[in-house]
Amino acid sequence: MARIQSSPVGKLLSWALLLVFTFAGVQMGLSAASSAILAVGDWQSTAAFSVLLQERRDQLAQYFIDSIDWDFLLANDFSYTQDEMDLMQLQDDIQTAETELSAEATAFRYQLRTSDGTVFKSNLGEDERLSQVVDQVYYSILSPQTLSDLDGSFQWSTSSLEWGSLSLYDVWGGRGTLGTLTGSVPVYILAYGVPSVPPETISDEFTALYQNCSTASAQFLPLIIGASVCGILALIALGYALWTAGHKAGQEGITLFWPEHAFVEIHLLTTLIVLFFLLWGGLQATDTYLSLLNAYYSAVSTSTATETSLMTYVISLLSTLAVGTVSLLLRTIAVRCKGHSFVKTSVICLVIRWLVLTIRDFILSIPLTWRVIMAFLLYFFLNLVLFTQGQYNELFTGLWLCLNFLVLLALCWWTVNFRRLRKGSQALASGNLHHQIETQRMPRDLKLYAEDLNNISVGMASAVDEQMKSERFKAELITNVSHDLKTPLTSIINYVNLLKATRQDDPKALEYIEVLDRKSQRLKKLTEDLVEASKASTGVLSVNREKIGMAQLIDQALGEWTEKLEERKLTVVSNLPEGETWVYADGRHLWRVIDNLLSNCAKYAMEGTRVYLDLTRGKGQVSLSVKNISREALNIPPERLMERFVRGEESRTTEGSGLGLSIARSLTELQGGTFSLAVDGDLFKATVSLPQAN
Amino acid sequence: MYNILICDDDKDIVSALDIYLTSEGYRTIKAYNGREALKAAEQNEIHLILMDIMMPELDGIRTTAKLREDSNVPIILLTAKSEDSDKILGLNIGADDYITKPFNPLEVIARVKSQLRRYTSLGGADRGPGLLTVGPISMDDSAKQVTVDGEPVALTPIEYNILKLLMSHPGQVFSSAQIYEQVWNDPAYGSENTVAVHIRHLREKIEINPADPRWLKVVWGLGYKMEKGSV
Repeated sequence: MARIQSSPVGKLLSWALLLVFTFAGVQMGLSAASSAILAVGDWQSTAAFSVLLQERRDQLAQYFIDSIDWDFLLANDFSYTQDEMDLMQLQDDIQTAETELSAEATAFRYQLRTSDGTVFKSNLGEDERLSQVVDQVYYSILSPQTLSDLDGSFQWSTSSLEWGSLSLYDVWGGRGTLGTLTGSVPVYILAYGVPSVPPETISDEFTALYQNCSTASAQFLPLIIGASVCGILALIALGYALWTAGHKAGQEGITLFWPEHAFVEIHLLTTLIVLFFLLWGGLQATDTYLSLLNAYYSAVSTSTATETSLMTYVISLLSTLAVGTVSLLLRTIAVRCKGHSFVKTSVICLVIRWLVLTIRDFILSIPLTWRVIMAFLLYFFLNLVLFTQGQYNELFTGLWLCLNFLVLLALCWWTVNFRRLRKGSQALASGNLHHQIETQRMPRDLKLYAEDLNNISVGMASAVDEQMKSERFKAELITNVSHDLKTPLTSIINYVNLLKATRQDDPKALEYIEVLDRKSQRLKKLTEDLVEASKASTGVLSVNREKIGMAQLIDQALGEWTEKLEERKLTVVSNLPEGETWVYADGRHLWRVIDNLLSNCAKYAMEGTRVYLDLTRGKGQVSLSVKNISREALNIPPERLMERFVRGEESRTTEGSGLGLSIARSLTELQGGTFSLAVDGDLFKATVSLPQAN
Repeated sequence: MYNILICDDDKDIVSALDIYLTSEGYRTIKAYNGREALKAAEQNEIHLILMDIMMPELDGIRTTAKLREDSNVPIILLTAKSEDSDKILGLNIGADDYITKPFNPLEVIARVKSQLRRYTSLGGADRGPGLLTVGPISMDDSAKQVTVDGEPVALTPIEYNILKLLMSHPGQVFSSAQIYEQVWNDPAYGSENTVAVHIRHLREKIEINPADPRWLKVVWGLGYKMEKGSV
């Protein structure tokens, strides 16, 4: 595709074809147009026919007058003859006219009658009637009186011919009325016409015209089709030329030549000037052409054929040049549009843009409040004017309706965008920090607001990411440190054990070893819990949620803990609902949660009390609560209890790392549950809620 | 007299293990990284290897893989990493057992003994009818006798019946209620609690570390199962 577009051969060819097809098309169009004059309708209805008919009529009238003159002179033995030459001339004229008007020489048929109906002269055969020979009979009257004196039962027109006291009138009307007319007034009637198909034996101007008309009507359709095809082909060539314009071989996109850098108005002006001259020349040529055409078809002069065709060439050439000039203008506009430089290279566009920008900047520099007030006042004023004017003029009513409809549209647009903005801020408020509001096609003030919100969300998202990263880093650090702690701890535990196996005489030494043993075990527990707590709180643990039976799990947990709790003289009272209660959870993590809670009971519950385990279900949630009486007074709020390294008693002498509740909460939340604590006096209550599984 | 190769980059741990194992009557060979361990394994007849995972030059996992190319000597990995994925990787690569640091010396000795017994005396071929075997645990139903690594274990009749149920269906999970119904032959009325206690006792008797059982596993929230004995 790109190769076709950038081929120079294709471009040149398309331009050449454009010009050639335009030229050919105009040629054919002109021929078709000139044929149309003859080809449309009957040949006798053409202008050329009536011209020819008038000439014959005038010749006939002249012949008639000459004949009357001759008869008069003959009756008076030529006593009024002044000049021998004139007489000779008159006789010659009469003879020529008689020959030319004879039935053998012309297709023109006539009948000359006096007002009383006597046929004076005719070239019709013995038993021929004029109305049978010709389609249309034309009448003219030669009268010494002005016909305005006559009654108006028929129409007439004065021709330009006047001979002495006689005037020639063309008459339209019935023959009956003509009869009444001719009864009282001394007139001569000329009746004439031409057969619709002139006899082939005769060769005169009518047969020539008839031939021309037949040829023209045969040529008309092919010429019209040819002209249309040429026009379409020229348009295709133009389209191709515009499509390829600006593409250059070996270059991506649009290449602008120096003419495309000049202002488009220069091109436009040049084109207009050139077009003006071409049009002027074209009009001259068309004038000449039309007059030639008239002459040609009236067959008065047959020598004009070469001149006519020369004129068609001139007109076609001028048209082709005009089309070429306009196409060049179109080409530069097309290239500019394709290269997105139209606005930049147009003075008018630049001025308009500058104006728009200046006005916009001015309006935007006004505070929002004033802008709203101004907009409202403008609206109010327009409303008032249009409404009051609308009482007298419906146009203003229409304008008033349009104005209000536009205002409604603008308000809708604003509201829709405002809703989009509010949705965005709601998303942000609900914690979706990656939601970005679409700011395209928003009112400017809302857009600024939306962009601010977008910036906030980006900032917050990056802050949260940063925090997550640092949390994860912390977890990794804790894990690594714990791993490093474990190796020396292994040695400590092992050597303490070895020490225990040695013989010690000093009883104090035995006591010290015992302390070492206890503390090293505690250290071991602490490092293990620390790793678990950091992993659980940062969510790096994998969670495999499946359907878990809560009753089964509590049963298993109690199996692990009953004896240790009994050692502490704690009685477990469990209230489980009928049947199995299923939850969605990760069994191992959930076990750790319950394990931690029971371990807490074992560590911190007052001896001899009861531990309550309650399992409840409802509203798609399953809650397990563990209640016990604390041995020490719980003088810290429950939120603090869930923090790391916080224990119910401040002395920190008992076993336990202080991480148990923190781990339990993190693990519960990892599984999509909630973990809550409540302290009421010495009553300690922990509740784990999880989504119920069906 | 068995030769045990101890391999750890921490010399104090190596010598502590050396003391424990020597006092138990084993001969020890020490190595401080994977390369030395490979060399030592070539030069001596080794019956068991205790090896750390995180070591310089050649780590425990790669050393295990190398050793497994031409030897089936028992390998116990010592690891500071407590993640399950590390344990699974170690066992898949060919180790027989693992102990997480910080370890209890008594557990180390128990595991060493268990591995040695199975490596040397138990061929695993002496299986008769009515003899159930899962890993190191064997149950002779005709004699009502349970042994772990050849050592007889004393079980109560209920414990024995629970173990028999689980061992006859290795890999299958039984809920407390199912176990109760099968062993006590009574419908379960919320008295499954006793099952959990019995199983914990059972675990204490047949597992080296009852808190981290290898064979009698707790499937939290679903029940209990016996691992399929592949070793």
